[in-house]
Amino acid sequence: MSTIVLDPITRLEGHLKVSVTLDASNIVTAAEATGNLFRDFENMLIGRVPKDAAFLTQRICGVCPVSHAIASSKAVEAASGFTPNLQALLLRNLIQGANFISSNILHFYQLALMDYVQGPQMNPWTPGYSQDFKFNATDSQTLINNYVTALSIRRKAHEMGAIFGGKLPHVGNVVPGGVTAIPTSTDITNFRNYLNTITTFITNTYNADVNKLASTYSAYYTIGKGYGNLISYGVFDTNATGSKLFPAGTVTNGVASSFAATNIKEYVGHSWYTSPSGVNPASETTTPSFGKTGAYTWLKAPRYNGTPYEAGSLARTWISGDYKNGVSVMDRHMARYTETAKIAASMQTWLNQIVAGASAFTNLSAQASGSGIGLTEAPRGALGHWVSVATSKISKYQIVTPTCWNASPMDDAGNVGPIEKALIGTHVVDTTQPVELLRIVHSFDPCTGCSVHVMSPEGIEMSNFVVQPL
Amino acid sequence: MKISRRDFLKWSVAAGVALNIEFDLANVNTVLAAETDPPIIWIQGAGCSGCTISTLNVTNPTTIDDVLLNKISMKYNSTIMTAAGDLAMQTLDQSATQYKGQFILVIEGAIPTGASGNYCIIGEFNGVPLTMQQAVLKYGPMAKYVVSAGTCASFGGVPASGANSTGCQSAKTILTGITTNPVVNLSGCPVHPTVLIQTLLDLILTGMPALDSNSRPTKYYSTIHSSCPRRGAQTGVPIGSATGCFRSVGCKGPSTQNVCPSMKWNNGQAWCIGVNYPCIGCSNPTFPTSPLI
Repeated sequence: MSTIVLDPITRLEGHLKVSVTLDASNIVTAAEATGNLFRDFENMLIGRVPKDAAFLTQRICGVCPVSHAIASSKAVEAASGFTPNLQALLLRNLIQGANFISSNILHFYQLALMDYVQGPQMNPWTPGYSQDFKFNATDSQTLINNYVTALSIRRKAHEMGAIFGGKLPHVGNVVPGGVTAIPTSTDITNFRNYLNTITTFITNTYNADVNKLASTYSAYYTIGKGYGNLISYGVFDTNATGSKLFPAGTVTNGVASSFAATNIKEYVGHSWYTSPSGVNPASETTTPSFGKTGAYTWLKAPRYNGTPYEAGSLARTWISGDYKNGVSVMDRHMARYTETAKIAASMQTWLNQIVAGASAFTNLSAQASGSGIGLTEAPRGALGHWVSVATSKISKYQIVTPTCWNASPMDDAGNVGPIEKALIGTHVVDTTQPVELLRIVHSFDPCTGCSVHVMSPEGIEMSNFVVQPL
Repeated sequence: MKISRRDFLKWSVAAGVALNIEFDLANVNTVLAAETDPPIIWIQGAGCSGCTISTLNVTNPTTIDDVLLNKISMKYNSTIMTAAGDLAMQTLDQSATQYKGQFILVIEGAIPTGASGNYCIIGEFNGVPLTMQQAVLKYGPMAKYVVSAGTCASFGGVPASGANSTGCQSAKTILTGITTNPVVNLSGCPVHPTVLIQTLLDLILTGMPALDSNSRPTKYYSTIHSSCPRRGAQTGVPIGSATGCFRSVGCKGPSTQNVCPSMKWNNGQAWCIGVNYPCIGCSNPTFPTSPLI
């Protein structure tokens, strides 16, 4: 029996450590994922005016800020009983869509691809593992060239989103009440020109490259499955009555079903918290306990009806019916491409519905009290904000992020998290170059800045803090 | 795809001339003699990677592929580097040792000092966790220059706001008095990519820039309101108005310094006030105020 500790897992947002135990045949028998950064986001919001949260929560993650702004705005709007007009919903779709495209292209080329192809022999692309490269020289060169092109395409996607959002990352105007941009016909034309360029890259280059990866590494259709249970909160409103491009839902043991936020509970049995375990975020509290026996991460373990679920592109495309081939490393990449193409195509439709010169913003008066839930999707999966307001200030704020679902630890019933489950059973060919583990973890597109739960550090006893002793 | 060091210098000098920068020839010769492109080590603490992503968005003075392939040598950046785990941490430490006194340390995110720094562990080195605080204290004094990318590293920013229960501090606070050159703050949430990349090139080619009282290069940090296209327009307009000055609804433009009105963001596409929302002062030492505006 041996162990492998990968810390840091690079090519993701944040600070993630993965530890695995191997048997004599180098098969993973146990895995632990550890979130290694703790900020105090939920508590730092308490006492602030509700509309500030749309700006502060974007700073949880520079890779998916727009989704946080939208989740926060929806939560505060729900607490006020307000629904933005169609123009606002469409502008949010276009800004969020631009960020999805940028993030998904960044993920495939800049974050994931270096697990399969050798980059230029210079920093930051070297050093790296030299294990299991299968592409021939021509294909390798094509992929590296497209890596460089993808850098400019993902940048252009951000430039496109900034036309209506002000700047990216961290947009300036997605707030409770709508979006303050008032598009001109020039803005709309500018946006469309960007979208056409980006769509061409997606449908030609990204399409060809992801299929090339899938055919060259077809074994990865059977690696890294995990539980196979999928969850999505739904994203991209297509009207003011709740219809979405990717609907909310769950897939449990292959069976599709509806979704209800009341079925979510977070468990802390193996997390550095002593607050009550198994509580819905609407009434959840958080008490930290560094070094708690049996705990190994800052992440809590969200569960749906007590069961671990995987969030992300594959969950969205499975529930929408756009891609439901299987659950694996390669299926995640294929689903991410599939949804990227669908989003780009849908953005053309939404852009055609934008009315030049029309307002998408209502200046909401501050509500004195109430509570609301804002559900959307970040590129890497289901994102929810739960807000309570008292005396016109935030009295409670809870955030459950996609990587909380995916990189969660073992829950109180002994179920490991989805990434941990996906690692178990994997054969590591060369334990000094465990590229298989990186490929599995990266396929989830984890983002630990998002995932790290937030709590008050009162009562921490550092003498009890034991770093995961593997 | 890699161009020669001589080409880099030629390009850099041309860019410098365009920007009216005076070159220190001895320094140019030092750069020319180095065995690598100018080494950069970029470490992340209590942040969101937004400053790395913003840097990827650079278009002026050049694009990121050109920066990474031809202008600098990015020895360590956990968001984009290929190496992971031990290999990554060895690269970090070996690069700092090999290029001691030569490399630029870029710090993204604030530095948690509470809980003995254990709120942020950037990796394990020989099986021992390395906190962000330890990394900054170890590598800051080894660097030729230290650059704080963004408001968190410059002033604490969002993770240091409110009760600051994790004890987040700025790089300058942690490193005052123990660095070769004063820490250069490049605030902004995120940092503006032109400010970041051009400052790195300026440091490589001409050395320390003139700094303002917040340790920021004076050439980038001027008051937003002074060059705001809405300055002097009708005041009293509500948030969301496509015209008029937002000063009376709390706009932070009069008290904030950055390049936004002149350079805008994302290749000059837009900026916050341009999409009808007041400045929230994201490059200020006091960001994020409560309320923001």
